[in-house]
Amino acid sequence: MAGKAGKKAGNKETEMKVKITWKEIKRQKVLLLWSLVIVIYGFIFYYLPLGGWLMAFQNYKPAKGLLHSEFIGLDKFKRLFSDETFIRVIRNTLAMGVINLVVTFVMAILFAILLNEIRQRRTKKVIQTVSYLPHFLSWIIVTGILHDMLSGAGIVNEMLRSLHIIDKSIDFFAHPSYFWPIVAFANVWKETGWNAIIYLAAITSIDPSLYEAASIDGAGRLAKIRHVTLPGIKPTIIILLLMNIGNVLNAGFEIQYLLGNGLVQSVSQTIDIYVLKWGISQGDYSIGTAAGIFKSVVSIILIVVANQIAKRNGEEQLY
Amino acid sequence: MRKKVIANMILTVAATAMLVTGCGADDGGKSKNSSGGSSDSEIKEFTAFFAVPGSEINDDNEIQQMIAEKTGVKVKETWLTGQTPEEAIGTIIAGGEYPDFIEGASGQQQLYDAGALVALDDYLDSYTNIKEFFTEQEWDSLRQDDGHIYWIPQFSNIYGEEKVCTHNDEAFWIQTRVLKWAGYPEITTMDEYFDLIERYQKENPTMEDGTKNIPYTILCDDWRYFCLENAPQFLDGYPNDGSCIVDPNSLKVIDYNTTDTAVRYFKKLNEEYHKGIVDTESFTQTYDEYISKLSTGRVLGMIDQWWDFAYRAGDAIKSAGLDKQGCNYVPLPITIEKGIKNQWHNSGGVVNAGTGLGITVSCDDVAGALQFVDDLLGQEIHDLRFWGVEGTDYQVDDKGEFSRTPEMRTNCADTAYKASHLCTYSYFPQWLGTSRDGINAMSPDGQANEFYDGLQTDVKECFDAYGVETYVDMIGTSEAPGAWYPMWSYSNNLTADTDGGMAWTKIGEIKHEYLPKVVMAKDFDAAWEDYMKAYKKCKPEDFLDEMQKELDRRMEEAAKYQ
Amino acid sequence: MEKSYKNIQHKKKSSVANTAFVVFNSVFMVIFLIITLYPVLNTLAISLNDGTDALRGGIYLLPRKFTFKNYTTVLEKDSLVTGAIITVARTIIGTILALITNAVLAFIVSRKRFLFRKQLSLFWVITMYVNGGLIPTFILYKELHLTNTFWVYVIPGMISAFNMLVIRTYMNGLPESLVESAQLDGAGYTTIFVKIISPLCKPVYATVALFVAVGQWNSWFDAMLYNRMSSEYTTLQYELMKLLSSVTSNGVTAESMKNTANAVTPTSVRAAATIITMLPIICIYPFLQKYFVTGLTLGGVKE
Repeated sequence: MAGKAGKKAGNKETEMKVKITWKEIKRQKVLLLWSLVIVIYGFIFYYLPLGGWLMAFQNYKPAKGLLHSEFIGLDKFKRLFSDETFIRVIRNTLAMGVINLVVTFVMAILFAILLNEIRQRRTKKVIQTVSYLPHFLSWIIVTGILHDMLSGAGIVNEMLRSLHIIDKSIDFFAHPSYFWPIVAFANVWKETGWNAIIYLAAITSIDPSLYEAASIDGAGRLAKIRHVTLPGIKPTIIILLLMNIGNVLNAGFEIQYLLGNGLVQSVSQTIDIYVLKWGISQGDYSIGTAAGIFKSVVSIILIVVANQIAKRNGEEQLY
Repeated sequence: MRKKVIANMILTVAATAMLVTGCGADDGGKSKNSSGGSSDSEIKEFTAFFAVPGSEINDDNEIQQMIAEKTGVKVKETWLTGQTPEEAIGTIIAGGEYPDFIEGASGQQQLYDAGALVALDDYLDSYTNIKEFFTEQEWDSLRQDDGHIYWIPQFSNIYGEEKVCTHNDEAFWIQTRVLKWAGYPEITTMDEYFDLIERYQKENPTMEDGTKNIPYTILCDDWRYFCLENAPQFLDGYPNDGSCIVDPNSLKVIDYNTTDTAVRYFKKLNEEYHKGIVDTESFTQTYDEYISKLSTGRVLGMIDQWWDFAYRAGDAIKSAGLDKQGCNYVPLPITIEKGIKNQWHNSGGVVNAGTGLGITVSCDDVAGALQFVDDLLGQEIHDLRFWGVEGTDYQVDDKGEFSRTPEMRTNCADTAYKASHLCTYSYFPQWLGTSRDGINAMSPDGQANEFYDGLQTDVKECFDAYGVETYVDMIGTSEAPGAWYPMWSYSNNLTADTDGGMAWTKIGEIKHEYLPKVVMAKDFDAAWEDYMKAYKKCKPEDFLDEMQKELDRRMEEAAKYQ
Repeated sequence: MEKSYKNIQHKKKSSVANTAFVVFNSVFMVIFLIITLYPVLNTLAISLNDGTDALRGGIYLLPRKFTFKNYTTVLEKDSLVTGAIITVARTIIGTILALITNAVLAFIVSRKRFLFRKQLSLFWVITMYVNGGLIPTFILYKELHLTNTFWVYVIPGMISAFNMLVIRTYMNGLPESLVESAQLDGAGYTTIFVKIISPLCKPVYATVALFVAVGQWNSWFDAMLYNRMSSEYTTLQYELMKLLSSVTSNGVTAESMKNTANAVTPTSVRAAATIITMLPIICIYPFLQKYFVTGLTLGGVKE
């Protein structure tokens, strides 16, 4: 499995393939014992419930249970993929997933780095404390405020009007073309500070002597960011990127549900909303499971590919 | 040192948690006698889950305690939170652990299929109050395909003479100031309605403080889009069957989405939209935004159901003193043409046979549970539930008539007071109409004098001008339409398992998307054509066929009693 | 010597760039602060405003009709105390358990010699993207006798691939020489984990602890699902959620709402509940914060 191990300078010796021998097993018995416990735990809590995937091939009725529901083969999958709404919903989910991923990612890293450049400790702390607060607001509150701001008499239209960019209020929620950017903005707004925490922690692991060395070489602040900070948090960035690539189909549900309306429903509905409408609200659990399996398969393909790319480039990998 | 302190802290917390959680013992979700209490040791506690949103009351709620003392029973109610009814019921079934009482809403059928409910018919005869709740025919209409009765619909059941003052349902509403300005004219058609709003708006584009009026708004948020979509059935003089029109003579189902009236209605909205009468934010506003618009008194008129706006916006209008400007709403008896008898309001109760209160197989004392339901329907406890405590929540004059002071009314609307004091057991069976004393209404809403005293000044003035006393008088009332009514009790429970259900869901999606477009379109006819094309693709005929079948079935059932 | 001379010249040249950078950064931060602070202040203002009045909208940074009533409405709810105790317990126990298990797992998979390194990582990575669904999970927990207990809050979901990977990445970044020299001294894996790696991982432990703690603090769905009938294990957030029976309720029909029309909680109470849950986290945060905003000094362990 270990195959072509990544080749980081200096670690060659320890990265080599270790053969399974009794001696090695004895040497690692503590690690093996612990992993066994952890694997059993993981199997029970994460893999056993996957038995529920059977539901996708059944006409599942809670009354009959998993064991006695009628098997219908691939019917549910056929229904999903023959429905043009579902295809559109995949498109929306992917589009919003990718946009959100890129935007929130860049913003979080940018914010973490810029915050790190602030020299006054107290200012830094205050800014950080404030920045993550919106994370604790529920979507219903955030979307409510957003709706207010973007409404005809809201602050955004007010500003655009006073700057003479427009002369008539824009009804932001009536045009499909605004919907994805609005969702992306809402995500950035709510989560940037929170997402940045991880990068701030990663920055702390950078050896301070590297900065000193860079200063001695005459590097300015931008140069230090480029040559010290960014490489220092690169492994973290790569790992989070890999993980999130697998999550692009989980573009969310609540925010689209709360911001959407009939006029933009062709771009606002995500897979999760579809499942709710056509599955759960209709007492059809199987269709939801089928969509879930589809999402899982796509996610796993995505991360395998992404991980392979990371491996080829000698970057940090998921596994 | 520090490590030790931390270790100690962890141990303490762990120990406390152990104590709190009772060492993680699985003590089940079944009803338990509250054994710990000293004074209420004889009070049996039942559990209940209602798959609808609701507000919980406090554990030490005063009236709940009083009811417990009188009946020996207390019910711990839990409501739907953050899930759909189907999902909540689905997990409960999967777990196989039920509360004692349950109301599944749209998940009710699942409960029956799962065998989670206890058949009640053998018990009914021993409980006079429950037995009295429905007629034989009504009870029979509740029988499932195995011939048994599993649940009791709780609502819209009238005792004695009907006492109703508010029109709780849908209507074209208009602010009293518009009517007053026009000298309280008779407005009976859609064209007259919009004409009046246009004329008023031209003369009075703003409120007293200069805020711009919004002449007409349409609430379109998610399932609340009925404010846009279902007016055609009423405009043609049919009642709210919810999903289709039923011709009372031929007993055929008619699709109200495609009638000439529907075209005329949406065309009118389209015209008014381009005249600037219809609020441009109609189709993007959320429910909260809509309520806040109504609360500021800016909106002259709209279609809505009373309960959807009146409690919230009504209070806000009052507290801001906007009633003095005439910002409260009254309903108008609007139809498409003159001379059509409108059925926005129907008299008589409606039994929604599709769902109700059931007792589950987990309940270890079915007789006790039913006894409690029976007790709740007794007059004394019924009064406690809906009127409250005599002297505190209402007063009785020497003729025995109940009334409330303004302060009592305010209290009863207060969230905190409701949680700590009032206990209506709101999802247990309840009566409307006249109290068994023959004088009062079963609940304050139906009490004529109480209602009239509680009215705000502008509404009173308006009622006086039209010579009416209630909202219902304003809009007129008709007999219940027929034995099939209401068809929504069937369409609400349709699932995508059947072609009809599939079509029904698709129709909903298409209407959500196209109706706003139709109203906003520059070229109405083209937009309507697009809409109809998309609409036909949903195979509405599948849906209508299924509704027709249900209609026939209901009529056949009813024929047995004639 | 030569170097430092060059350095001075460089500094002069780049001081303009530096100033520009500082200005840009300050402007960016100010805008960012305003944008992120606004929704919080707005929520605060609404929570301090009369509920009926708030319906009319138009409240921005200051309440219009000041009142504490929304807070008393929320705080008067009597199951709140039970909820708070359980929430504190689950936050503390859950965080400790999660931190230990994730750290151990991360430690194992960051050992380069470990035989099943890839397999074990993959095993956990997959768990991030598969999900058996609500009902199968429910049945499992019931079979394990976790439903209607406290433990359903802390045992499932204890190990998460996300947290494990975050710690692992950090551990991978630590100098290998430390471990090697300890191994030469005859230290076993347990000693290396406890004595050498963990002390260096404080920032990442603090981060993960924060994530887990916030997750525990905020969760309510598990309380509703698994302990619906056991009110003694209710959590703070679940109690608050119940207050918020809101307009988002899906699958609700007009007919069912008719009978519960009065049950909709005012926006202002919703806002008060939000502020109440935010407060403790805001109070605890600075204590964790010092681990990840202050730069780390690796002591004498430069490579």
